[in-house]
Amino acid sequence: MNGISIYDPSAWMVASAEAIAAVVIVTGILQTAFNFVLLLYAAAALGSRPPVPRSATLWRRYSEQAPAISVLAPAFNEELTIVESTRSLLALQYPDFEVIVINDGSNDGTLARLIAEFNLEQVDRYVDRSVDHAEIRGFYASPRLPRLLVVDKINGGKADALNAGINCSRTELFCAIDADSLLEPDALLRVVRPFVDNPHLTIAAGGTIRIANGCKVDSGRITDIKLPRNFLALVQIVEYLRAFLMARVGLGKMQALTVISGAFGLFRRRHVVAVGGYSHGTVGEDMELVLKLHRLMREQKRDYRIEFIAEPVCWTECPDSLSVLGRQRARWQRGALECFVKHKDMLFNPRYGRIGMIGFGQILLVDVLGPLLEVMGYVLVPLLWALGLLAFPWLLAFLAVTFTLGIFLSMATLVLEELQLRRFPKARELAVLAGIAVVENFGYRQISNLWRMQGWWQFIRRQQGWGTMTRKGFSAS
Amino acid sequence: MSLVLCLLGVLALFILISARIIAARFTGRHDLARQKLLPVLLSGDPQHLEKVSGGELAVAANLTIELAEMTRGSERDILIIRATALGIPDLLLRRMRSWSAQKRLSAAEAITLFDNCSELACKALDDRNRDVRLGVAMALAQKGAAPEPLALIEKLGVGQQESSLLLVSLMADLAGKNSEAVAALLFERSLPYETKVAAMDALANLGGEYAPLLAYMARESAGEPELQPRVYRALGRTGHPAGAEAIIDGLSSVEWTVRASAAEAAGNAGLSQAVRHLGELLRDPVYFVRYRASMALLKLGPRGIAILREASSSEDPVVRTVATKMLVEGRAT
Repeated sequence: MNGISIYDPSAWMVASAEAIAAVVIVTGILQTAFNFVLLLYAAAALGSRPPVPRSATLWRRYSEQAPAISVLAPAFNEELTIVESTRSLLALQYPDFEVIVINDGSNDGTLARLIAEFNLEQVDRYVDRSVDHAEIRGFYASPRLPRLLVVDKINGGKADALNAGINCSRTELFCAIDADSLLEPDALLRVVRPFVDNPHLTIAAGGTIRIANGCKVDSGRITDIKLPRNFLALVQIVEYLRAFLMARVGLGKMQALTVISGAFGLFRRRHVVAVGGYSHGTVGEDMELVLKLHRLMREQKRDYRIEFIAEPVCWTECPDSLSVLGRQRARWQRGALECFVKHKDMLFNPRYGRIGMIGFGQILLVDVLGPLLEVMGYVLVPLLWALGLLAFPWLLAFLAVTFTLGIFLSMATLVLEELQLRRFPKARELAVLAGIAVVENFGYRQISNLWRMQGWWQFIRRQQGWGTMTRKGFSAS
Repeated sequence: MSLVLCLLGVLALFILISARIIAARFTGRHDLARQKLLPVLLSGDPQHLEKVSGGELAVAANLTIELAEMTRGSERDILIIRATALGIPDLLLRRMRSWSAQKRLSAAEAITLFDNCSELACKALDDRNRDVRLGVAMALAQKGAAPEPLALIEKLGVGQQESSLLLVSLMADLAGKNSEAVAALLFERSLPYETKVAAMDALANLGGEYAPLLAYMARESAGEPELQPRVYRALGRTGHPAGAEAIIDGLSSVEWTVRASAAEAAGNAGLSQAVRHLGELLRDPVYFVRYRASMALLKLGPRGIAILREASSSEDPVVRTVATKMLVEGRAT
């Protein structure tokens, strides 16, 4: 309080302005510093990952020892795409797997199309009842397709459908995917690697999600990787690269991964059953499952690993309109907050080791405080400067933290992608994404934070539900 | 500072994009080289082949590795003779010194295909990367040129750094050449349990000869709930009566994973004396034990099915459900 007179209101205002600006800038710097660490870890992880470049090599090396997997695909009102999706799942390159499609009480022709297309008949099946879910109405299978089982159940939501799938699966591992996503043919062989390499420790592994908008799709497979023309879809490609190639690879290397995307994750069934499966009544069920697994293993003082593998890819369609994207982002924000509050006792709790200190620290910094402080910064810092309450260097510092380092992180992720994975066939695509990495900071980033604030508001109001998620379908690409 | 970092990022990406554009100009040459070298590697007369160099040599090496994965026997032998004539082993040896573990592994695996190069490949067993070491060990074992199993295990650091299930594939290849040496690993007191389980897994594929050993190991591994199920599954695969007593013991283990794997083993080994025990497991609190036990009963034929039929009218709803539904699934109603 040196130099501030308690009777001088303008001095108080200046001091408050500086304090607010300092909090915003320090948090920004902390976030950026953490992202730098993640980037270094991601580079180390990608640089030292086991060398399995070609599918043929992968098959030769892993097929004999790869454990059986149940692929669980929950489907709700997916009449238009379900047959193609199921065919692509049945064509996966993996020695021993079954596909369990869970019709989650669709009110369109999803089930009828499956029955007709694959000549399925109603069968009976002895299933587990370890995890809770809505009632199963029936099972459908065909001797011609022994790998396929269709479960018809009363609608209960995605988590509920996955729980039904877990109860129906009979393999040591299960892979949860979105029925409207496309797995690359060798994705299972790639994502199973940690379960083969560290069979006694690995309990879960996640793979990369990439945006399929703009790509050519033929018979349920991506045949030509191209960029979309829609700006929002392009921005999301950069966002996904940053989220997966930097954040998740880095956190995986640190053994502090807090989320495996619901669109593609491989789990050891018995541990998921031990934590009661997916939780109902949350929109962040994928994140919560991983947190519950960490909690279980930490509380039982058992060694374990939850890995993230960059190479296996699941392609998904992203929203290309502001309204749908906004709903999705608000929902993600709400999901993260729900998980954070539900497991808040893990935050900075030494009992939970890295996951409490680093994993939860990251959620606090990025998901909980991030949008609040960034929006506060966007509003207050320029306002205070305009009112003459904040010095110009402070404003510059804020802008530098916000924009230049943001651009650097995106560029660095693109460098990682090009050096380690090279998924984009042409240089032009990289150049376009580099341009997007710059442009997204001016407008999109701010809107995105507003959506996240909307998620905050929904969370405070305890608003439930997923909101409508309109998809165009891959054939439209 | 942040501006400098930002510019550095942009510069790095610019360099990579430029490199991509330059590389794209050579794609045509690369394709031409492939078109030229493919017939040479597939049908060229080794007597008249001359060494290639530069970009062509790199293309030829990559083609050789790809083709070697698709060929076997005499077809692969002649491919290797042609590749030798083109000078590919020299390039592979240089690649074995690459900073990239991926390149080192790929080169070391490929070099094992060439006669007289196995000793050079053995050097890669001391590589700093565990995946390179294991990959080379597997390639050498497949070719029958691996060092003695004990020496190999030490180099791989099994139990300390290496616990991959791929050890089973490695052991299977080693056992194919010298099963005695692999069996001897089971008697080495100093070896970690993981090595022994991998050895057992591999030996089980050779039939019942090692069943008594496996039965002994099944009992001895009681304190290893992660490994013991693997021992039981291996024992079941031998199908040898010497394993019967150990499997029946396993059915009453306190660990459900062990009970489930022992039940699976009983079914696979056709252990008809286990039917009563399996019938009791139909009321096990864990689904997987009930499921494996009922599957085993179905596999055991009339005696097992009779137990299931009896259980299908049990007063216990859990027992009744499992028996009824599994009889329907097995179409044995």
